[in-house]
Amino acid sequence: RRELPDGGARPNAAQFKQLVVSALRELHGEVGAALPVDVLTYEEKTLSAILRVISSGFVKLWSALTLLGFYQNRRCAFRVLQTSPFLLALAGNSRELVL
Amino acid sequence: MVRFKNRYVLCEVLSDDPRCRQCIEDRAVGLAVRDAIARVHGDYGLACCSISFTVKYLNAYTGTVLLRCRKDSYRLLCSALPFVRHLESRAQRYPCALNTLHVGGTIRTCQKFLIEYNRRQLLILLQNCTNEEERQCIQKSLLSCSLTEEQSQSGDEDDDGTE
Repeated sequence: RRELPDGGARPNAAQFKQLVVSALRELHGEVGAALPVDVLTYEEKTLSAILRVISSGFVKLWSALTLLGFYQNRRCAFRVLQTSPFLLALAGNSRELVL
Repeated sequence: MVRFKNRYVLCEVLSDDPRCRQCIEDRAVGLAVRDAIARVHGDYGLACCSISFTVKYLNAYTGTVLLRCRKDSYRLLCSALPFVRHLESRAQRYPCALNTLHVGGTIRTCQKFLIEYNRRQLLILLQNCTNEEERQCIQKSLLSCSLTEEQSQSGDEDDDGTE
């Protein structure tokens, strides 16, 4: 899951994907932009999304998102809340599970 | 154990335009390669490959270029070489292509390979040339190169080859 705080206009799903791909292109060039990244869900209200990427491109994606500073000339930041190889694990935090 | 290891990439500049030969310079080639790396691999790739990147040797007549880079990032460099499309110098752009001939760890291995490669190219030229004068010229240079190779590295090989 990713969350980005913003000031004004909120990107929709396509613009969000465009943002991710442009971050990859800046840091890792055409090779990075060609990385198959999928936006599985996107909530415009909270500006959070679940991204899927091939495991060999995981480091490139995370580093590109960390170093992305601007969206439409406004400062923004990506915060990674949780990463996991399984989608189901993102549903809850297993450490706080009450049995 | 703490030595910085480099990789030397030997390439050949191919171009249809005959005027391109004149503008093959070390700075122009270096800038073109760095530009291609920046396009293909972005900021990270450019910084990675530029740590120890130089054009070590350049021969404008044959279009041979020897590039140096770090051992960790030579694959980034080699994968970006096909994306070099233009050489720019003195406000002129010429379309060109870079052909990778050899990747070696030292300049000496690259030189050995280049000597052998040039020898083979002379033989191919001899087969392809149509003019009688050209034929004699090339035959003369072939004979001269196999008899008078007296550099210390390749001296022994030539003695075995011509005996």
